[in-house]
Amino acid sequence: MNELSQLIEESATRLFEGFATEKSYQTMESGQFPTASWQDFVSDGWLRTALTEEQGGAGLGLAGSFILMRLAGYHAVPLPIAESLIATYLAASSGVDIEDELLVPAIVSQPFESSADLVLSNVPWARHAAGVLVVFQRANQLHTVIIKQADLSISIHHNMAGEARDEITIKPKQLEVSNQLNGVTIEQINSWLALSRAAQISGALHKVLQRTVDYANERSQFGRQIGKFQAVQQQLAVQAEMTSASICAVDAAIAHLGGEQEWELIACAKITCSEAAGYAAKTAHAVHAAIGFTQEYPLQLSTRRLWSWRDEYGNEAHWSAKLGRHCLQLGNDDLWSWLTTQTT
Amino acid sequence: MQQLNFEPVLTAEKEEALREQVRDFLQQYGPFKPGNMIDSWSVCDPEFSRSLAKHGWLGMTWPSEYGGGDKSYLERYVVIEELLAAGAPVGAHWVADRQSGPLLLKFGTQEQREYFLPKIVNGECFFAIGMSEPNSGSDLASIKTHAERVEGGWLVNGSKIWTSWAHACHQMITLCRTAPASENRHAGLSQFIVDLKAEGLTIRPIVTLAGEKHFNEIFFDNVFVPDNRVVGKLNDGWNQVMAELAFERSGPERFLSSYQLLEAAIQVLREAELAQQAETVIGQYVARLMVLRQMSLSVANQLQQGKLPVNEASVVKDLGTSFEQELPEAMRLILAIEPRPSAEHGVERLLSDAILKAPSFSLRGGTREILRGIIARGLGLR
Repeated sequence: MNELSQLIEESATRLFEGFATEKSYQTMESGQFPTASWQDFVSDGWLRTALTEEQGGAGLGLAGSFILMRLAGYHAVPLPIAESLIATYLAASSGVDIEDELLVPAIVSQPFESSADLVLSNVPWARHAAGVLVVFQRANQLHTVIIKQADLSISIHHNMAGEARDEITIKPKQLEVSNQLNGVTIEQINSWLALSRAAQISGALHKVLQRTVDYANERSQFGRQIGKFQAVQQQLAVQAEMTSASICAVDAAIAHLGGEQEWELIACAKITCSEAAGYAAKTAHAVHAAIGFTQEYPLQLSTRRLWSWRDEYGNEAHWSAKLGRHCLQLGNDDLWSWLTTQTT
Repeated sequence: MQQLNFEPVLTAEKEEALREQVRDFLQQYGPFKPGNMIDSWSVCDPEFSRSLAKHGWLGMTWPSEYGGGDKSYLERYVVIEELLAAGAPVGAHWVADRQSGPLLLKFGTQEQREYFLPKIVNGECFFAIGMSEPNSGSDLASIKTHAERVEGGWLVNGSKIWTSWAHACHQMITLCRTAPASENRHAGLSQFIVDLKAEGLTIRPIVTLAGEKHFNEIFFDNVFVPDNRVVGKLNDGWNQVMAELAFERSGPERFLSSYQLLEAAIQVLREAELAQQAETVIGQYVARLMVLRQMSLSVANQLQQGKLPVNEASVVKDLGTSFEQELPEAMRLILAIEPRPSAEHGVERLLSDAILKAPSFSLRGGTREILRGIIARGLGLR
């Protein structure tokens, strides 16, 4: 996996650095879309990261996609990288011919009445998408439908980082003609979405740690760099521990994709990352003090994302309860053997 | 800023086959004494250690020419995590297997390796750690125990403290000052293999607050150590000690000391009316445990590759001991029971043992503050 990660970082880093400009953030946060950046992303072929070569893709799979999402999180890229990769993958998996346009996922996890309008909230980037890929279950079969943006009723919302999280309303008849999606479950798709946020968080945590260590080494008070004070060092050490645990947890979840304990390791990753997000943001702001609290200073680009992403697609309490419930349902004396199957 | 590396590792069939062997063995040997389940690597049972030796589970990673098993660090990892999770009494051989043997392999003379390693592998020679002194805890470089050159060897004077199982062990790797302290505080220290039965050496027990009797204070009154018991380079003891730490700090014993309590708590909760709060807390702790396993396995794999991931080991130890210390605190809130040291077994007893033993978890092998200082140095802050 190290080689894959290296390959992706080498080829996408420069592109992502170019996306992270003040103008892009302004565009995005004013509710517009950084179209030129998006087109660069698409024309370099990254939208097709997860697709097989037969599907016209790069063949890097979901694993490669999550690694790319981590890099996007590191650079706080103001584009729907994670969302488009997952939606494109699911569309291709349901046999749709992929065009180079923005699809975003909307998952209907609960049973719904086929007569009433369906309201889905927190649909990422819906207002900018060519279409929303709706995944739903009908008669024990998963289906997908791509609803064109023009055919949707959209109410505009965003998260604390200014990323579009819209509410869409779907008419039942818009789900009538659909494609079957086989080989996956709704739960699995929800866990992949959680892993996408965990991957982004782990990238952002890495960036925040670097930024904070650099700042602690530059800023002087009482005649020495603040990073020389033990009180500061101890906090940054804990931040580094939680950051490296988060990166490790995401790596482990990626390494076990398709394995026996896929969702369990994803749960661990989302729990670890979401917990670390709060600690890292708190510590980074404490070390940066007032300058970090300004819009001008770029720390907020990462910390507002951390505060948003930790709750999206299930926060640490949600995934902990799910994991805990699972452990409590195991037979007596089975916990240890369950814990040790994940590495095989 | 140095990046911390925890590349994930997958164990393979080879390791998993070994895991099954250990589980079969544990089925025959266990279950172990309930009062010894918490922190079972501080429980000394020489007979049990020798039965592990018969299976080839001591000195597993060492070369066969010294009686070792020629196995990988991942194979060793699997064996020791199975033993620890079961609460097996592995304390007698623990130090020798984990760090003294590897130290001799790396820095010892040919004679020392040939003499000591086969004995360790057979469970006939146990080692103690001779580092801390009454006035030198975290500040290890300030030790006062010194060795003075005499004909054919050295005369050691001073004292060591917090030495687990000194009264049951045979040898102790003892850090001594061999040159006066200079500006470089880390220079002038040397390691010696001291026979714990040597003349002039006195061992005095210290009972822990939990009533355990593994600690000792050791006094050296002109204890003679022959030249052939100097480990590695004279006056370079500090660097050798630091090399030991990657082995000492990263293993599963740094997060499994209170694991038996988690299992027992889950069993009790399974039969109880379940609060959602309990599910969430169990999930949080299981997630921490799963990630710690991944991190510790990754370090084991890096040791296998010949790396010396000292910073990563410090991360595992700090996160791991926080986990094993916080676990009883979290369990008491969801179990709604009272810890009961007088109980023979059961979750009340485990909770009591865990609370009483937990303070030492983050002290032994380098305190939390020392570890965070090491990590801060790796970050480029010191």
